[in-house]
Amino acid sequence: MSVRVERGAGPTAAGDRGIPPLVVRDVTVQFGALKALSEVSFTVEPGTIHAIIGPNGAGKSTMFNVLSGVYKATAGDVRFGDAVLTTLRPHQIAKLRVARAFQNIALSGTQTVAENLMLGRHHLTAAGFLSAGLRLPKATKEGRLHGQRVREIAEFLELGDKLETPVGVLSYGDQKRVEVARALCTEPDLLLLDEPVAGMNAEETRRMAAAVLEIRSALGISVVLVEHDMGMVMGIADRITVLDFGRRIADGTPEQVQSDPEVIRAYLGSGDDTEESSA
Amino acid sequence: MSDTATRTLGDEIVATPMAPASGRAKLLKMLVPLVAFAAMLAVPIFVEPFWTQVGFGVFAAAIGAIGLNLLVGTTGQLSLAHAFFLAVGAATYCYVSGESGGTATEVGGLGLPPVVGMLCGVALAGLAGLLFSPIAARLRGIYLGVASLGLVFIGQHLMNTLEEVTGGFNGRATPIFAVPGFSFGSSDPDLFVLGIPFGEAEREWYLGLFLLAAAWWFAHNLLRSRPGRALQTLRDSETAAAVMGVNVQAYKARVFLLSSMYAGLAGVLVALSIGAIAPESFTLEVSVLYLAMIVLGGLGSVGGAVAGAAFVSALPVIFQRYADVLPLLSQPGQGGLSAPQGARILFGLTIIAVVLFQPAGLAGLARRRPRRPARTTSVAPSTAPAQGSTP
Ligand SMILES: Nc1ncnc2c1ncn2[C@@H]1O[C@H](COP(=O)(O)OP(=O)(O)OP(=O)(O)O)[C@@H](O)[C@H]1O
Ligand SMILES: [Mg+2]
Repeated sequence: MSVRVERGAGPTAAGDRGIPPLVVRDVTVQFGALKALSEVSFTVEPGTIHAIIGPNGAGKSTMFNVLSGVYKATAGDVRFGDAVLTTLRPHQIAKLRVARAFQNIALSGTQTVAENLMLGRHHLTAAGFLSAGLRLPKATKEGRLHGQRVREIAEFLELGDKLETPVGVLSYGDQKRVEVARALCTEPDLLLLDEPVAGMNAEETRRMAAAVLEIRSALGISVVLVEHDMGMVMGIADRITVLDFGRRIADGTPEQVQSDPEVIRAYLGSGDDTEESSA
Repeated sequence: MSDTATRTLGDEIVATPMAPASGRAKLLKMLVPLVAFAAMLAVPIFVEPFWTQVGFGVFAAAIGAIGLNLLVGTTGQLSLAHAFFLAVGAATYCYVSGESGGTATEVGGLGLPPVVGMLCGVALAGLAGLLFSPIAARLRGIYLGVASLGLVFIGQHLMNTLEEVTGGFNGRATPIFAVPGFSFGSSDPDLFVLGIPFGEAEREWYLGLFLLAAAWWFAHNLLRSRPGRALQTLRDSETAAAVMGVNVQAYKARVFLLSSMYAGLAGVLVALSIGAIAPESFTLEVSVLYLAMIVLGGLGSVGGAVAGAAFVSALPVIFQRYADVLPLLSQPGQGGLSAPQGARILFGLTIIAVVLFQPAGLAGLARRRPRRPARTTSVAPSTAPAQGSTP
């Protein structure tokens, strides 16, 4: 991976950009009798790659749904700087530069890659029904400017030649990359990636891992990564939170987590689904 | 990620325009509608008034269908209330631009210029849509469909009881449209083009053609822009749209408002096309026919909505006119199907055939690049809180 991602005049530390920590405190989510999350806490330090791992059904995607405002937490709160994310609606959270790539692809299949990526620019642009329908100069100019940026991000994720292709006809791996690219198109401060390499082969996985590292180091943003591919997680994560049945069972550096007896028990005890997606 | 160039992912947007995408294809794309429009301009010179009349009816329906398609096809919201908004537009126009009095009737009217009446029709339909839009914003799909059903019944009741505005059960005549110095009736001024008298039918053809062109252009632009992309994503995954920064409720409300304004304009033209308004022109069946138009034409396609409108509103009339040469029919008095019955059956069969053999709609016929039908893309746990309430 020789393409470099830069923000303005080169790599910047997260501190300079004023990216705040993400503080998750005692978050509980209850679905009827099921506690999908029980009093989970962790902190994502600015500019780090923070992985959340755990067996299927551990509550990882539920946590993402809380972070992005899709689900209301039954108890606890999430703070991103001064903002309390648990009180906001999804589109308000997007405005705070929190972006998410979905585990189950949630793209618009009939729209082209470029159109899907342009949606990432939604909160950065302003054209409304009237100015867009009447093609007022400000609307068309805005579209052109942001189209350029979308092209750059698409090329960074190897989608440059597919911009005009409807997403519905792309391969699964390509669609996964569009998911990540769309999130990146929002110019996030905090990037939530839900299993970005699920279904990808080893080479694609390696490239995506490199891309995530590049995004972090060049943009200085924080990344929260949910992933079953342990090779990728251990390779790029700065810190790992482990969930099991909605509870946090470990939190630490990859080395600490790997040797934690409870983590080993959770993974061995659950029929070991950790390797399925890296196959 | 593999070439050697240094790419920047800085948050500054570089103000370089995109490379012009293949100039010739672009020119062709612009030329086709222009040529088609020019050809439509010449039509009244060559055909009988019957056809220009049918054409005006199609233009009216097409505007309504484009509006409904923005709501249903593009955004994935179902509405059965379209006939109601058509009625609001039509009745408002008749009241604002109609004269009060008349001999034995209670019909009132403000007698304002027809252009004002038309604008009021659009505005009031929009206002009605705006009043309903908080409900529309909270419901999704079939639930909205059923809720909107209520509006049609309210509309029918109002049409029957607000006699001063609507003429009640018997309806009232539609005031002839005019702009200052030019009437769209059969005189005032008398008009001959290439020796052909241009009466009401010919003039209204142009009125409908220009309004449809404007309505088409606006919707076309909208779909290729920021709000259009947001609406389409909202249809495919409401959660994804919200997480990407789209204010879902506000967008649902706005598209409902826009769709009712299209319906209001269509209602004015329908009233002009029929020459009168009456409750039976705005029944639930009309709402259903508009849904048929956009499904037959192709959900989400502006051109498709127009094609569907032509199909649904012109075909029955044409079948009736040529009933004698159509199959299925017997001569009057022979006890077989009558011409209107035959026309209806043929129309019904044609609808079934189109849906069966061309599920992407009439728009699918014209499309060069096959676009797959919308993939149902679901979001993480798809049992998520339903009914449009992304909390
Ligand atoms: N909307 C919902 N209603 C009811 N139960 C839910 C809902 N969303 C998630 N759950 C349940 O919460 C638990 C956690 O699900 P979640 O999707 O967060 O797991 P996950 O860790 O992302 O798993 P995977 O690795 O399979 O993606 C599961 O038992 C799931 O069935
Ligand atoms: Mg998950």
